[in-house]
Amino acid sequence: MHPWGKFANKTFVDLGVEAILNALKDASMEWKDIQAMVSGCFVWDGVGGMLSGHSVAAVMGETGIPITNVFNVCATATSSFRTAYQIVASGEQDICLALGTDMSPTGFLPILGGANPTDCDYLRWKMLGITNPGYWALECRKRMERYGTTERDLARAKVAASKNGALNPNALYRKVYDEEEVLNSPMVADPLRLYMICATRDGAVATILCSAEVAKKYTSKPVMIAGVGLGSALCGDPTARLGLLAAPPETTVPMLSESYMSSQMAYRISGIGPDDIDLVELPDNSSWHYLQYLETLGFCGPGEAEQLLASGETALTGKIPVNTSGGMASFGEAISAQGLLQIYEVVKQLRGECGERQVQGAKVGLAQTYGMLGNSAAAVLKV
Amino acid sequence: MDAKKKVAAVDGLFTMDPTEPQLIGGKCDSCGSYFFPKFYQSHKPTCPNREVREVLLSRRGKLDSYTIQYFPPPPPFVSPKPFVPYGLGLVALPEGINIIGIMTGIELEDLKRGMDVEMVVDKLYEDEDGTEFMGWKFRPVD
Repeated sequence: MHPWGKFANKTFVDLGVEAILNALKDASMEWKDIQAMVSGCFVWDGVGGMLSGHSVAAVMGETGIPITNVFNVCATATSSFRTAYQIVASGEQDICLALGTDMSPTGFLPILGGANPTDCDYLRWKMLGITNPGYWALECRKRMERYGTTERDLARAKVAASKNGALNPNALYRKVYDEEEVLNSPMVADPLRLYMICATRDGAVATILCSAEVAKKYTSKPVMIAGVGLGSALCGDPTARLGLLAAPPETTVPMLSESYMSSQMAYRISGIGPDDIDLVELPDNSSWHYLQYLETLGFCGPGEAEQLLASGETALTGKIPVNTSGGMASFGEAISAQGLLQIYEVVKQLRGECGERQVQGAKVGLAQTYGMLGNSAAAVLKV
Repeated sequence: MDAKKKVAAVDGLFTMDPTEPQLIGGKCDSCGSYFFPKFYQSHKPTCPNREVREVLLSRRGKLDSYTIQYFPPPPPFVSPKPFVPYGLGLVALPEGINIIGIMTGIELEDLKRGMDVEMVVDKLYEDEDGTEFMGWKFRPVD
């Protein structure tokens, strides 16, 4: 990985190259051993970014390997991981690298593209100015009335994440917050305050996927991919979907249906369910996400997430440790790389390399992304 | 003094009727789904129709949720200087579609879920020549 931060004097290529060099070192491989690459598009600037994998390969060395560039917004990195997995699982190649490298614009993530009146994302910025936290706040307020979620519940999510982030040398924010600090932070999109939403940052992660047979040459303790899911939205999903101007009324369709579908797909393929999972990295874009995803992923029933969090069951020693890395609350979000950061943490946990934040006896982990406009990816890993 | 020229900030989203403006939505005549804007965003998988008919949406609805944004959004939104926090509402229309809109005509602390609101056309910003660029907003009704 390349650490998360703001790197004014670097490019997304610099970050990607460093992440690859670190991954190759970890795997005891050389660049020439990589037989295929899948890379998340860097969408903030030009064709070189859309072809991020090719831009990075130009530095690493042009070996002529197949390179695929993918973009699925927040699910980009885990979508890359899924495609890399399919390339290896199909038998086409034995060693495939999945890369996510991103550098975020400063402030609220802005519009991509021009003044296109048939692009709802343009219209939401132009006509409403509704920011991403604005959408999350609309859902958060509904939750607060539906389940009695309090501001303190929202603060607890940040506090819990910060305790884990403080133990992670790679985390960008390592301060442990208390509830009062969170509750006294500036209001951004009522009811969400500054410390209840994630920042946007730069970062990169590379992961190397091998066939089981080839992996034996490099390690005696491989981490296995049990299942990867990719989901899109179900018609009738009542969530105010990030980037749209309208939403259906309440229905029986699950909220965040794209995330429900991706996790269900990963569960189905792996034969592993929420009760078997030792830790989860979920997309805590906001405190609302932290709570909602516990339910979407099946770790508790509707309206039970607040109690699960308050009772300490999402802490490192709890029933289902959540965001042992510190999550986006401790790293910030670098869209095209974030899913692989989650996978990186799960791999580290399953290898038992997490030091003070190690979940004892961790055998199975879930990495779950969010996703704009109804797309989401999930990966279940095991040892 | 001449009245200021008023134009829609983006055409095709709402009518500019001076007293009873309406949002321009779409309807699938096969499954009955409504859309805003007028093109498909989320369609029933069981419906074979791919045509959408332009319809005018109800002016009145209920506030299903809301937020208040305390920091200026990035362009292309044009924020007043100095920035003033503003409300955004998710409004449930009788057609069975919830629409997001800027809230107007209400103190932000008075926003309340379930309140009755109506759609209005109101100024988003104006340019140096004094032309006013308009958008849809929602305001409370008694």
